[in-house]
Amino acid sequence: MKSSTVVNVVTYIVAAIVVIVFAFPFYWLITTSFKFDIDIYHYPPVYIPFKFTLHNYWTGLFDLWGLQGIRDSFIISAMNTLLVLALSIPAAYALALMPVRGKSFLLSWILSQRMLPPIAVAIPFFLVWKWLGWLDTYQALVFTYTIFNLPFAIWLLAGYIEELPREIYEAALVDGASHLGVLRSVLLPLIKPSIAVTSLFTFIFSWNEFLFAVIFTREKIRPFTVVIPSLIGGHVILWGAICAVTLVGLIPEIVMVLLLQKHIVRGLTLGAIKG
Amino acid sequence: MRRANPSIFFLLPAVAAIILLTIVPLVYSLYLSLTSYELGRAYLGMKFIGLDNYITAIKDIRFLMSILRTLIFVAITVTVEFGLGLALALLFNREFKGRGLVLTIMMVPFMIAPIAVGFLWWMIYDVNYGPLNHLVVDIFHLSPNPVAWTADPRIALYSIILTDIWQYTPFMMLILLAGLRSIPPEPYEAALIDGASGLAIFRHITLPLLKPAILVAILIRTIDAFKVYDLVYLLTFGGPGTASEVASFYIYLTGFRHFRIGYAAAQSYILLIIISILVTILIRIIRRGAR
Repeated sequence: MKSSTVVNVVTYIVAAIVVIVFAFPFYWLITTSFKFDIDIYHYPPVYIPFKFTLHNYWTGLFDLWGLQGIRDSFIISAMNTLLVLALSIPAAYALALMPVRGKSFLLSWILSQRMLPPIAVAIPFFLVWKWLGWLDTYQALVFTYTIFNLPFAIWLLAGYIEELPREIYEAALVDGASHLGVLRSVLLPLIKPSIAVTSLFTFIFSWNEFLFAVIFTREKIRPFTVVIPSLIGGHVILWGAICAVTLVGLIPEIVMVLLLQKHIVRGLTLGAIKG
Repeated sequence: MRRANPSIFFLLPAVAAIILLTIVPLVYSLYLSLTSYELGRAYLGMKFIGLDNYITAIKDIRFLMSILRTLIFVAITVTVEFGLGLALALLFNREFKGRGLVLTIMMVPFMIAPIAVGFLWWMIYDVNYGPLNHLVVDIFHLSPNPVAWTADPRIALYSIILTDIWQYTPFMMLILLAGLRSIPPEPYEAALIDGASGLAIFRHITLPLLKPAILVAILIRTIDAFKVYDLVYLLTFGGPGTASEVASFYIYLTGFRHFRIGYAAAQSYILLIIISILVTILIRIIRRGAR
């Protein structure tokens, strides 16, 4: 089996290259966040630093809005996730009971929603939030993110509910339970895992969002995605501190990605491909 | 006893949210696009000027160039991400030690904030201290001088494209890999018994059966690539000059830096129409191909 040995060797070589290419930027981020300035502003680049400092974390988190960025992003993402769940769970239940035509309409609506360039919605929203005095508030972003997260969440949840055998809730309905009762005591416990997956996706999307965040906030609210570019505009750029802030902002996300692993492909293709 | 369908009550809040948050803003934006509204000069009021903004946009070379750059961006990123993604998916569609770890590492880039990805590459591209110039100049001797990855007008757009490829090739790969895994083994067994060559198996079995996954992957990436904004904002801010100004970014400048709200609304409608037309054509092709 000579050819299979060759294929194996090639696989390992490519796998090694892939790991280096995809992991290196993160390695660079992590090491730079612990480097002293003398190693950061050094040519040739210092790939393996020997001296470490936590100074960058202090500067980034306390002097440069890092902590505020993480806090604001957390508040916005959590509130948006709760809002989206409250709206999407009942809607997904109703859809699962609905005829097929309603669903194909929903799918085309989600697709068209996805095509919508965010900048096109940013203009009218900006004027409305300005008129309401909501610029630089949490609620402006919480409501705005609902546009993109809600259809996605409904679709994802409805897909999971459909996979359950219908008899489970139909039996309860025949026994005289109300729809609200069935939703609460029969369906909710069953779809807990899919609710968790949906919330993680919603949370990550809100956490990652930048375009609306940068347009709708000024100085009271500074989501983490807005803090990062705001630090690289000036003449003196504190690389180490920005790395520290970015890393702290990415850690919760990376943990969530690890939790989501098995659901990522299905989630990101709207259930079209089951990973 | 039959109860009324609860659909109405359960769907109502979601539907209301959708109408309020999508349809109303879009109608409002359509109205804005027909006015001369400027934020900085609100005292001029919202004069109705018909299609003037649209006519201005069609004659605005800077706007047309930004559309062209967006199309170049979409064409290159989707093509390269698909090619690389397919090659990697075929290679990784087999068991080997550490496979799980490799796939996990590859999931991180496309799930984290694009703005953070932009910052990672901003460091890598740095002219003076960036590792990429170290690699290009001192290790492989490809260029005698450091390359200004984000400051050279001939290169800036391609540096953004490269970053996007880094971020989303794994996404393509994972979708295609999931598609490969869902192909049943029987057709392969039959082909092997018939003595088909590897290339023939790929062309006549793998590709046709992988088609649904290929189409979904290309559709999603195309739609999302049109919206590129974060990477441009962080890496080049559209510059140098206007060398890497894509449509979303130019509309942002028009509306939120030059405060020409009416004009920006018109531009965004033109972008929306272009995306809709191209995606509709793509979906047509996909429907025909899937048959």
